[in-house]
Amino acid sequence: MKRTLLQSILLYATVIVVCGFLLFPIYWMIITSLAPASALRSFPPQFWPANPQWSTYTNLIFNTDMPRWLFNSALVAIVSTAISLLVSVLAAYSLSRYTMKGGEAVGLFILMSKMLPATMLIIPLFGIFRSLGLMGSLWSLIIAHATAIVPFATWMLKGYFDSIPQELEQAAQVDGCTPWGALFRVILPVSAPGLAATALYGFVLSWADYLYARTFLASATHNWTANIGIATFKGEYQTDWNVIMAASLLAALPIMLAYLFLQRYLVGGLTAGSGK
Amino acid sequence: MSEFSQSRPAAPIVRRSHGLFGIDLASPRHANKLGYLLLAPAALLILAILVYPMLLAIDLSFHDVKFATLSFGADDYTLKNYQRLFSSPEFWNAIRTTCMLLLVVTSISLCVGMGTALLVNQQFRGRSFARMLIALPWAVPEVVAVVTWVWILDASFGVLNWLLLKAGLIGGQVSWFSSPGSAFSAVTMVMVWKGYPFISIMILAGLQSIPEEFYQAAKVDGANVFQRFIWITVPCLAPVLGVTLVLTVLWVFRDFSIIYVLTGGGPVGATETLAIMTYEEAFSFFRMGYASSIGVVTLLICAVISAFLVKKTSHAIY
Repeated sequence: MKRTLLQSILLYATVIVVCGFLLFPIYWMIITSLAPASALRSFPPQFWPANPQWSTYTNLIFNTDMPRWLFNSALVAIVSTAISLLVSVLAAYSLSRYTMKGGEAVGLFILMSKMLPATMLIIPLFGIFRSLGLMGSLWSLIIAHATAIVPFATWMLKGYFDSIPQELEQAAQVDGCTPWGALFRVILPVSAPGLAATALYGFVLSWADYLYARTFLASATHNWTANIGIATFKGEYQTDWNVIMAASLLAALPIMLAYLFLQRYLVGGLTAGSGK
Repeated sequence: MSEFSQSRPAAPIVRRSHGLFGIDLASPRHANKLGYLLLAPAALLILAILVYPMLLAIDLSFHDVKFATLSFGADDYTLKNYQRLFSSPEFWNAIRTTCMLLLVVTSISLCVGMGTALLVNQQFRGRSFARMLIALPWAVPEVVAVVTWVWILDASFGVLNWLLLKAGLIGGQVSWFSSPGSAFSAVTMVMVWKGYPFISIMILAGLQSIPEEFYQAAKVDGANVFQRFIWITVPCLAPVLGVTLVLTVLWVFRDFSIIYVLTGGGPVGATETLAIMTYEEAFSFFRMGYASSIGVVTLLICAVISAFLVKKTSHAIY
């Protein structure tokens, strides 16, 4: 399909305007974080930082708890994703390859858990963690995040395993592999992109959580995650928007970079996992 | 494969393993045992961290308790929570707010998602870069998105008020979070911004799977752009749209962070959804039993809505 020059220009203009419009909040976050505090209390707003204030970032990194909170977020996300993936890979493989009594029920429950409101689940979890003495501990978050990651990862990986032909394991077993060997030496290496996408989603899910973190870690400041830190900054430094935006950007950056560099896998995983 | 098997002619074709519990898991007779074994860890974990808490919450909803107890049936069962719930104007207000939000956010997100997907489905140089950028808000954590929007919507120095003033659309500075209507639109803005990228990603994937021949054939038959969209694109997208719609609806219905950080449900309950009400009852007023009953009702509504949507869209395919 050939376009005229005018049509091409119009298309590009539309793309640029739409992108600019939709991405403005991200742009504004970056610009604000670099602006001097005084410039934020004057009209008209500066759309380009005349002299970027990098000190906002160095201050945030060296003089606040922000690095610790980021570390906590990462720790919780990595551990809960790792634990969830460990059990989900096996379960997803089992659901994909074996016909079992009860297999259907597990599958159905996984679907239903997608409808479970987290604001309801948190009530019994609160009671359980209190009696286990896990309040304020990062373990409470790791377990709470696993409640969301396990069902979702199992479902997504099942979809992925379903797309791998059974002949692959049969060939491996004919060649002398045990069923375990077929899974670990043949199927898992083949599903590396799917595993990576699922792990990333798990990480994103955990990293974005605010509900559980706020409720379970309320008084344990040193165990806070980045999201509680930012929400608290919003309340405390009402007018220091450059600090709040810098902290926000630091919290958003890991996920945004992962998205930009691994978009191909993420999109593949997202559409494959939920298309089933 | 043939070279591979020839390279080790001495090995037995099927090696017997007697590793686990002395059961030969490779034999067809025991094949399903391996299936159960693989499923067991996840099943146990789900039982412990999902099924048990869920039953506990349902049990709680039938008890008049202030705090979450771990013992089932501690007191007599009572329907008090549900009676109170259905006669509470706050609950019906939350239902109305949730449904309004659902309708507004889902339809706007769907339009923006569809528009952006159609746009970056065009062929042009730099298309893959545009595809990447257009769904970038997906990667912004909800709390970060909210805090950024609070700054954009700031009454005195927010950039949106400045732009609207400059354009002459508003007479004076709007204090977005102090009136019910504007707070509701603020919540809508942020939710659409966080919600459209997922829809866009899903629709784009759906668009790419529609064969180009369909469009060519329609063009030969003289169908215009609009007709091609209605009669080819929409029906072909129906299954994808169905799944996307269900997931988006469930998200709006249950989301907590965006509204809680943005408005806290206020002013005067204008943005209080069922999720916010559940949380407030549980952790501000410590009425755990009552809060659980709201959660149970939310769960039931979610189940009904998704069953309905799944049915509707599976009809649409055929």
